[in-house]
Amino acid sequence: MNKPTSAGPALFDQLDPERIRVESSRKLALEMGRTRLMITGVVLAMAFTALGVRLAELTAFGTPENVRLAAASPHLESVVARANIRDRNGVVIASSLPTQSLYADPRDVMDGARAAQKISEVLGATTPESILEKLDQGGRFQWIARNLTPAQVYAVNRLGLPGFGFRREEKRIYPFGPIFAHVLGYTDVDGRGISGVESAFEDRLNTRIKGQFDIPGEVSSTDLDLSLDIRMQSILREELLAAQNRFSAIGAAGVVLDAKSGEVLALVSLPDFDPNTSNGGLGVSGFNRATKGVYEMGSTFKLFATATALDTGAVGISDGYDTSEPIKAARFTISDFHGKKRWLSIPEILVYSSNIGTAKMALDVGAKRQKEYLRKFGMLESAGIEIPEVGKPLYPDRWGDISTMTISYGHGIAVSPLQLASGVAAVVNGGVMLRPTILKRGANDIKIEERVISPKTSKIMRAMMRLVVRFGTGKNADVNGYMVGGKTGTAEKQVAGKYSEDAVVSSFVGAFPMNDPRYIVFVLVDEPQGIKSTFGYATGGWVAAPVVSNVISRIGTIEGIIPQPTDAENKNSPGTPLYIETAAKKINNAASQGVRSATY
Amino acid sequence: MSKKTGFIRHTTVLFLLLAGGISVVLFSVKYQVQALEDERISLINEIRNEKQSIHVLNAEWSYLNDPSRLSEMSTRYLGLVPVSPKQLSGSEIIKNIPQRDNGDSQ
Repeated sequence: MNKPTSAGPALFDQLDPERIRVESSRKLALEMGRTRLMITGVVLAMAFTALGVRLAELTAFGTPENVRLAAASPHLESVVARANIRDRNGVVIASSLPTQSLYADPRDVMDGARAAQKISEVLGATTPESILEKLDQGGRFQWIARNLTPAQVYAVNRLGLPGFGFRREEKRIYPFGPIFAHVLGYTDVDGRGISGVESAFEDRLNTRIKGQFDIPGEVSSTDLDLSLDIRMQSILREELLAAQNRFSAIGAAGVVLDAKSGEVLALVSLPDFDPNTSNGGLGVSGFNRATKGVYEMGSTFKLFATATALDTGAVGISDGYDTSEPIKAARFTISDFHGKKRWLSIPEILVYSSNIGTAKMALDVGAKRQKEYLRKFGMLESAGIEIPEVGKPLYPDRWGDISTMTISYGHGIAVSPLQLASGVAAVVNGGVMLRPTILKRGANDIKIEERVISPKTSKIMRAMMRLVVRFGTGKNADVNGYMVGGKTGTAEKQVAGKYSEDAVVSSFVGAFPMNDPRYIVFVLVDEPQGIKSTFGYATGGWVAAPVVSNVISRIGTIEGIIPQPTDAENKNSPGTPLYIETAAKKINNAASQGVRSATY
Repeated sequence: MSKKTGFIRHTTVLFLLLAGGISVVLFSVKYQVQALEDERISLINEIRNEKQSIHVLNAEWSYLNDPSRLSEMSTRYLGLVPVSPKQLSGSEIIKNIPQRDNGDSQ
């Protein structure tokens, strides 16, 4: 660097003014560049900081949403779109299997007639004409055959025909065939529920729609657990089928109900169908008699009449009625054909199934209270079960004295078997009405709808129902050691507005063990014909009671119920209110029932 | 002044080394992750196939457990009949069964 000299001004002159200007503009540019660099740097630094923060947030502090997304791996999805249905023990009773279905794009099919011929050869079941017809319909998509077997898929693929393809589908299968026919229902070819549980829980069973992302742990619980028990269901169906065939009946229905929780353990209606092969058009076999069918039940209704009379205090346990004279009201005559023709105590009226006694009892209760109690027993509304096939009960609009009397012994009112079974559950379980359900209930899910009768009345009813089976019309229902109690019912059906003696509905409702009932078994046989071994009788005591007996002895052992020694039961000694007078004499079970008055 | 430049030079070298080291690690981790991802996908497919088999086998198991089939097979091959209530007893009866005193109590 030069030292400043006296020749400073001269030196200064040497400087090019242009250069100085350049210097200063360069400096400006430099300044500007520096500023820009700074801004870029700051922006980048901020961006990187943001990235760093986000990285730290994602790795170190994962949000639940991210954890859920990460866990939602494709393999955790259930295999099929429609959930399994299982029984109460976890046995699969309805499942969807992945299958392949053949479709055609008619525009890409080259030689329709030849292709149709070849495919029908391979598939067997379909005719070439029907395939050709589908191909001629045009469009871009036609189903040719649904749900093929792997062998058929292979065979079609081997043909190598253009314009045909496979689409993955599901086929609903029912491993137990007709055993659960009515209660499960079935699905159409596209897998939509048509009836029964399949239809009632359509949305619940469609797993894909509900949650796109399945969370581990939830996957296995997509199965729908029913309250039904495959063993009881199969036993009930087997016994009903045997009875139906034995008595050449047109149909039968049965219900096994858990008296303490309201769970339906078995529900059978005959004739039934195989849901694996059905696709609508079932006719009479598609009709669910157990929930949809309503019947005049006959004498089983006397349980409600007696419980009402005792609970309202209209009669006491030691009261009774004279049943020697038939009741004549308007054009009706209420009588007991083979009646005792004497004064009967309240227990005897039930045990011998006296219409006269029950009708008189009902008159003392009165129409209003009778109706109120029947409503509480669930007889005036459809059974509140989940499946769509529920029948509406039929009863008179005008509930006069005659109605009061006939309804007391189960005529002039028609209810479904399930309604009757759940009403009887309320009679014996201590007096509370439980809503019947087809879904498995935990101990905490049991919801008491309403108290109907007092625990004391319930206890008396249990004792009297036991007497019916020990000494009365229900002897054929007894199982040694299981303390079965119940009530028979035989009602003549109305044929063209008149009660017919040839067409009857025979039923029996049983409960066991009677000291603390756990199960209600109801069996109904529609239009049974008397046979030689029942002396021509087709009454509830002869037709339905033995079925209940068989069912109880089989489900009792399955459930491990220990038989109680029968000598522990009361001795039926005179002087106690529950004494049954003619029990000492050997009575003919069948002959002791009335036949004339449309109920026994 | 020279001390400061030396410091800067050292930091630069250090950061270059660090960057080089990290990229090597990143590279290998990336490949590891890729390999794991491939393995995961193949496992997922395997699980899906297994699940499908289990699903079908469950249905078949139910089918094979058809009560009428089981009862027919048990009568044919095992000679078993259903238990009758007579064969069941409570715990009181078991308590009353006389036991041989094997002297353990002494």
